Amino acid sequence: MAATVKIFNIVKSNMSPNKLTYGLLAPMQVRSKYYCISEPDPSMKFKDMSERAVHIMFWTELFRGLGITLANLFKEPATINYPFEKGPLSPRFRGEHALRRYPSGEERCIACKLCEAICPAQAITIEAEEREDGSRRTTRYDIDMTKCIYCGFCQEACPVDAIVEGPNFEFSTESREELLYNKEKLLNNGDKWESEIASNIYADHLYR
Amino acid sequence: MLRTPLHRALLPCVREALSVSRASASTAPEKIEVFIDDKRVLVEPGTTVLQAAALVGVEIPRFCYHERLAVAGNCRMCLVEVEKSPKPVAACAMPVMKGWRVKTNSEMTKKAREGVMEFLLVNHPLDCPICDQGGECDLQDQSMAFGSDRSRFTDIDHSGKRAVEDKDIGPLVKTIMTRCIHCTRCIRFASEVAGIDDLGTTGRGNDMQVGTYVEKMFLSELSGNIIDLCPVGALTSKPYSFTARPWETRKTESVDVHDAIGSNIVVSTRTGEVLRILPRVNEEVNEEWLSDKSRFAYDGLRRQRLISPMLKVGGQLAPVDWEDALVSCARALVEAGPHSAAIVGGLADAESLIALKDLFNRLGSEQLFTEEQFPVDGAATDLRSSYILNNKITGVEEADLILLVGTNPRFEAPLLNARIRKSYVHNELDIALIGPQLNLTYDYTHVGEGPDVLKQLVSESHPFARKLKAAKKPMIILGAQQLKRPDGAAILASVQQISQKLGKNKDGWKVLNVLQQTASQVAALDLGYKTNARSILENGSNPPKVLFLLGADEGVIQRSDLPASTYVIYQGHHGDVGASMADAVLPGATYTEKQGTYVNTEGRAQQTLVAVTPPGMAREDWKIIRALSEVSGYKLDFDTLAEVRLRLEQVAPNLVKYDEVEEANFFKEASELNKDASAKLGNESFDVKLKNLEDFYMTNSISRASETMAKCVQAVMKQKQSKYYEAQSA
Amino acid sequence: MSSLMKFIGVDKIQKAIQIFQENGGLKASLIKMLRNDELKSGTLVGVDKYGNRYYENNAYFVGRNRWIEYADHYWLDYNASQIPAEWYGWMHYKTDLIPTKDPNRPHHRWMLDHTENMTGTSGQYTPYSTNRPKIEAWIPPKK
Repeated sequence: MAATVKIFNIVKSNMSPNKLTYGLLAPMQVRSKYYCISEPDPSMKFKDMSERAVHIMFWTELFRGLGITLANLFKEPATINYPFEKGPLSPRFRGEHALRRYPSGEERCIACKLCEAICPAQAITIEAEEREDGSRRTTRYDIDMTKCIYCGFCQEACPVDAIVEGPNFEFSTESREELLYNKEKLLNNGDKWESEIASNIYADHLYR
Repeated sequence: MLRTPLHRALLPCVREALSVSRASASTAPEKIEVFIDDKRVLVEPGTTVLQAAALVGVEIPRFCYHERLAVAGNCRMCLVEVEKSPKPVAACAMPVMKGWRVKTNSEMTKKAREGVMEFLLVNHPLDCPICDQGGECDLQDQSMAFGSDRSRFTDIDHSGKRAVEDKDIGPLVKTIMTRCIHCTRCIRFASEVAGIDDLGTTGRGNDMQVGTYVEKMFLSELSGNIIDLCPVGALTSKPYSFTARPWETRKTESVDVHDAIGSNIVVSTRTGEVLRILPRVNEEVNEEWLSDKSRFAYDGLRRQRLISPMLKVGGQLAPVDWEDALVSCARALVEAGPHSAAIVGGLADAESLIALKDLFNRLGSEQLFTEEQFPVDGAATDLRSSYILNNKITGVEEADLILLVGTNPRFEAPLLNARIRKSYVHNELDIALIGPQLNLTYDYTHVGEGPDVLKQLVSESHPFARKLKAAKKPMIILGAQQLKRPDGAAILASVQQISQKLGKNKDGWKVLNVLQQTASQVAALDLGYKTNARSILENGSNPPKVLFLLGADEGVIQRSDLPASTYVIYQGHHGDVGASMADAVLPGATYTEKQGTYVNTEGRAQQTLVAVTPPGMAREDWKIIRALSEVSGYKLDFDTLAEVRLRLEQVAPNLVKYDEVEEANFFKEASELNKDASAKLGNESFDVKLKNLEDFYMTNSISRASETMAKCVQAVMKQKQSKYYEAQSA
Repeated sequence: MSSLMKFIGVDKIQKAIQIFQENGGLKASLIKMLRNDELKSGTLVGVDKYGNRYYENNAYFVGRNRWIEYADHYWLDYNASQIPAEWYGWMHYKTDLIPTKDPNRPHHRWMLDHTENMTGTSGQYTPYSTNRPKIEAWIPPKK
């Protein structure tokens, strides 16, 4: 029915007949080979049927399952024993933020505010002023870690590699306010994690 | 002097555009047809390619060109292709010829721009992250839009870019001269607008440097404008340095209150703090300039602030709650009743003025005074023509002769002075001065020192009278400060008489202008405030029991003038003279923290908008007075700003017609009423309060609290010690 | 012979005994099992300045072949944030070089000692403002 309507419509719309037949007949091509992909019906021989009945009556599946469990008890576990063993991480892992320093100990951040501008969650707040020596420095560098989505844009935007997302992910806290990091906390993080941050950057230096 | 050569050097079209008077005299020339990107446009002969392109909305990139400065044509960024011309032409300097086809987007134009940009960037440091211009930098924007997308700059031997030593040109402008691209906008501004030929270039080619030739500071009352003009980060604001990026600040359009001009400003704020103030274009008031006090005194907004109400406890002011403060003040006011007086300072908005006046009138007191004094004899302030700048600020550009009487517009109203100088440079305006010899950044005829000259001018016995008479559009600008003198009324009357004579047959051209000094004065007078504050002390038997100071910090009435029993209430935003003599302090809001109406010296009502909230417990001023009225039992019948403004409209309708100038009339009547006073002219020479640059910076409670302004004063003092200092220059 | 032993599972018992022995006898092993939840045998790769011991045994699959025994003084108060930054990369398989053998690890005098996550203790971080107050209030002159 649908096909006739379609033909009618197409005829009405003055389409070329060649194109018309080809388009209509395409799904009607003859197929010669078929595969059954559904599960075959269970065998209806008496022997098979009685076997199935015995399995069902004596809960053999249950015992087989218990057997597998018991066997796994003696196998090497597939999970890792977390605080003692840890899973692999990439050098590019984006964890807790840190502000880095130059080898001289001078803080890297120059208060250009690009990280603040690019932050999609608006988690970064910076206030800056001129330091006594005339250099451009932040007086406030706050990251609201509860807002942060760990996208890593801040470290991509940073022209001096000051703000980085370090490898640490074990900084969960009991209260919310502890996640409102200020500049000193971030610099402390940097000072604590510099060894790892620097070797991560070194590990990745060929690819950027 | 700049005047003549510039005048000749100016392109005919610019001269035509600027000189309104002569444009009408010459016959309108035939327009010529040019094509910009195949768009046809008809322009006046002498129009530059850049201006013609602007007419059809085609923006040509530029660095050195600025429409308010002379054409320099030295950055070459505006190169465009003109059909049949073998080489690209500089659009800013080249007048169009008939039938030209300009291609602003052709291969040749693009290549020329890329080339120029490449040359500029060869020696421009790549320090955008620490540059304060970042985000609002012409070089950044234009290198994105018109520069090449790849660099050929490979400094393989690390020879470095060109480096230039920074100059110390004062506490306001920070220089990072390595970033300079030698557009010379600052130099042209200094010599054309500011009238100080201190800036210039030395050396050629790669060694070219912009500087002050000798080691001196660039001190001018308009110096901040070179920061806005600089297309790169070579000149940046020192007080604002490194504090914010343009994209993160919130901008609020507002009005300046540091002088009576009412310059239009944009207040940039962030985290509840005013970070900088920039000018907003208003051709009728400040064009696009701003005086240094208006621009840089904002750090005074966060120092010496009153943040909580205070009452005297054991002879010492101590912070208290609003409730306690209001109850104490209300009790004192109710007890005093008609024996209360109020003095308002120069920063009060019209809303609080009307609220205070209504409250006092309900208490039965008519003793409301402005701190600025004004003669009360004759017509006094009843007729508006005797206290506003009747010709308006734009009138300066039409005038052909200006007589300044006892005023120094350079420091009292720097932007008016900039207009006068503009007119002097471009329109051959003549200026004369009665008063002390001053450096006004332009030449003037010094007519005399004192009121005796006025007397001679009235009787037309002075040689200058003839010149005045010959002028087509004369303007007399009288400094309001002279009206404080004992013979103030006589001075006003004489000037009115002279103006009256000159104004005859001038087709509505007004001659008389009074230049006010404070932002609130015109509104206060419009609302009917009295002007002789000292008179409260004169009726000795009956001193006021309560003295209410609304931001009055100039010390017109000292504590020692008053009996100990007088209860002094100070309402305002800064701890200054007024607060230190008060028994009760009510913390108010500054002009960036309230929506308030201010009327400038022309009589133009403008409003400030709330950029930040008042600090601590401080509140908007009219709300405090409204609260006080309720506590004292004389409740004012307005609760919202709209209702206050409705009340303002009832009293003085012009106060709520924003951005309009309500013109004054009754010149003749005012003059007639004051006639009797003119005989009493004194002999003492005129003196102006703001004579030198160091006097300019600190004139009200905000600028007195400002560290930047204090540094400016110190800088001027230091400059005076310098061996390169010339007494003439500042 | 050995295949027979293997068939009846004697080698497993032998291995268990060996692990017990490696871990310092039955009592020590039980204590270790209490603290570490399991008993493993491996080579001691290094000890950090806080007393944590790091072991490796590549017979285990990746993820289990490197492990830490927290310093004894932590007793049962161990947690993962006690691993200092220097060993962090090795623990997380970012590098195969232990910190003493890694030439690219910086040693600046401003670098700080590691601290564990102090949340919930008196040493926890509390946020505070690092800038000056925005408004300077007027202080009335003393008379």
